[in-house]
Amino acid sequence: MADVATTQRPILVEPTVMAPRVIPRLRRRRDGFAAAWFVLPILVVFVVLYLIPLGQSLYYSFTNYNGYSPDVKLVGFDNYVRIFRDSSMLSALGFTLAYAILTTLLVTVFAIPLALALNRRFVGRAFVRSVFFFPAVPSVAVLGLVWTFILSPLGSGVINSVLGAIGVAPIPWLADETLAQISVILVAVWAQTGWHAMLYLAYLQSIPSDIFEASKLDGACPWQEFRSLTLPLLTPAITVSQLLLLTGGLKVFDLPFTLTHGGPGFATRTLTQSIIENGIAQSDIGKASALSVLFLLAVGAVIALQLVLSRRIEERYS
Amino acid sequence: MKSSRGILLSVLLVPLACLVALPFYYIVVNTLKTQPETAAQPLALPTSLYLDNYIEVFRDIPVLQSFLNTLYVTVLSIAIMLLIGSMAAFGVLIGRGRLASIVGVILVIAFVVPGQATLVPLYRMLAGVELVDSLNGLVVMYACGSIFCYFLIIGYMRSLPTELFEAARIDGAGPFRVYWSIALPLIRPILVTVGVFQTMWVWNDFITPNVFINSPQKQTLVLQVYTAVGEFTTNWPVFMTLTVIALIPMVVFFVFAQRQIVSGLVNGSVKG
Repeated sequence: MADVATTQRPILVEPTVMAPRVIPRLRRRRDGFAAAWFVLPILVVFVVLYLIPLGQSLYYSFTNYNGYSPDVKLVGFDNYVRIFRDSSMLSALGFTLAYAILTTLLVTVFAIPLALALNRRFVGRAFVRSVFFFPAVPSVAVLGLVWTFILSPLGSGVINSVLGAIGVAPIPWLADETLAQISVILVAVWAQTGWHAMLYLAYLQSIPSDIFEASKLDGACPWQEFRSLTLPLLTPAITVSQLLLLTGGLKVFDLPFTLTHGGPGFATRTLTQSIIENGIAQSDIGKASALSVLFLLAVGAVIALQLVLSRRIEERYS
Repeated sequence: MKSSRGILLSVLLVPLACLVALPFYYIVVNTLKTQPETAAQPLALPTSLYLDNYIEVFRDIPVLQSFLNTLYVTVLSIAIMLLIGSMAAFGVLIGRGRLASIVGVILVIAFVVPGQATLVPLYRMLAGVELVDSLNGLVVMYACGSIFCYFLIIGYMRSLPTELFEAARIDGAGPFRVYWSIALPLIRPILVTVGVFQTMWVWNDFITPNVFINSPQKQTLVLQVYTAVGEFTTNWPVFMTLTVIALIPMVVFFVFAQRQIVSGLVNGSVKG
């Protein structure tokens, strides 16, 4: 019996020590099993809608695949070379870059002051806020169509009819290459400024107001306050806003397509329009895939660069 | 001093806002005019109440059909992406460890990949299973949105005390029970916010229906407005009327969801 007692003792002791460990471990394993079931659908989405198509884009970009011929050959970097020889794709690249950079700059330049103004009290503030935000509500494609009528090169376009009333000849807003590019960018700024101003406003309202009161007591003038207090505090908002604007700008399709169809010529064509036309309408899968791969790399580079830059800026201020 | 600055802002911004709103005034006001009236005085108020444009649009264009198409695609897509996104967030939260980090990395990749980079292969894939020119094909495409949902939902779930889930486990509820009757009700606020944002995306989307839909009877509202432009380039008031009709559902939605949109902007941006 004594033997039993001594051999039993460790057994008796062990469960009390082990119990809290063993049960969670078992539970964790069971949870891990269940967790896998919960995560499965999103993994299916990832594999079917991202991984496989990405792999195909990459593979087709090195082939002469045209969607019909079963005779698919590897052609190395031919498709990539063809992109840089295709004037429509080059102008799409140029315009998309210009659009992304200019809308980002202009929207930021307008949205920050607008947010600062909306952060103060004045008569009609609710009206101003709603009106500026409103263009973010309807579809951008529909807005593009509305503006085709406003900018119509005919005398009956609103802007031209107003100009006509004061004796100015009709201006071919969407028929001239440079004017069309400017028009598309300005309409984009009109459509997006209010939304981004709301984003900045949300940040401004989360900054404790005693910070500003302290700086006023220190005798800071408005410009000093803006440069050394408001702007640094807004850095996280600027990062978010610019990231959305830049990636959104690179991906743009709806607005230029509905406003100008990418014309006149190729003046307002976007990379997305090029991918769709080459890959789906003309079934030049190889070239469209090569463009898709370059597009992916460009967007990835912009995101990486933006994150590095904003981290640097945040470090400098903090 | 303070009030004078307030007056300055009003004097500056109220007219500017009116200018920003002018395009909307322009299309609404012209739906109530005849064609010659629109051409002669595009910005004037209508001289009499003229409703023929509305009658003509409803008679000639299957607006109701495309409205129902859009509603079907939007409701189904949002339900699916919220379900997939919230399930994944819950799974990652209870799974922890390796699973969570693998899923996290995978989904960041998906977050960066622009839809355009996968558009052509996806078109071929859906064509292969006869989901091109089909409303269900659009729903499949919009399932991509689950990844955005996942990121917002997991951010919200992490801010909740984990004891809430643990307590239910001790009571013996299985993981599926906990997900359905504890986690989902708890994350309702974020589901509403994400749902509102994704609804605005799906309802307003143009590129996907434009690429994937060919049949007129399967058009979404936005696509229908676009194709109608070709037909009505000579009759501006009718086109503008169609546009206004297409804008109404989103405006109504916005009025009801405004609080969610604004708070989502605040939460999403302040946390992000």
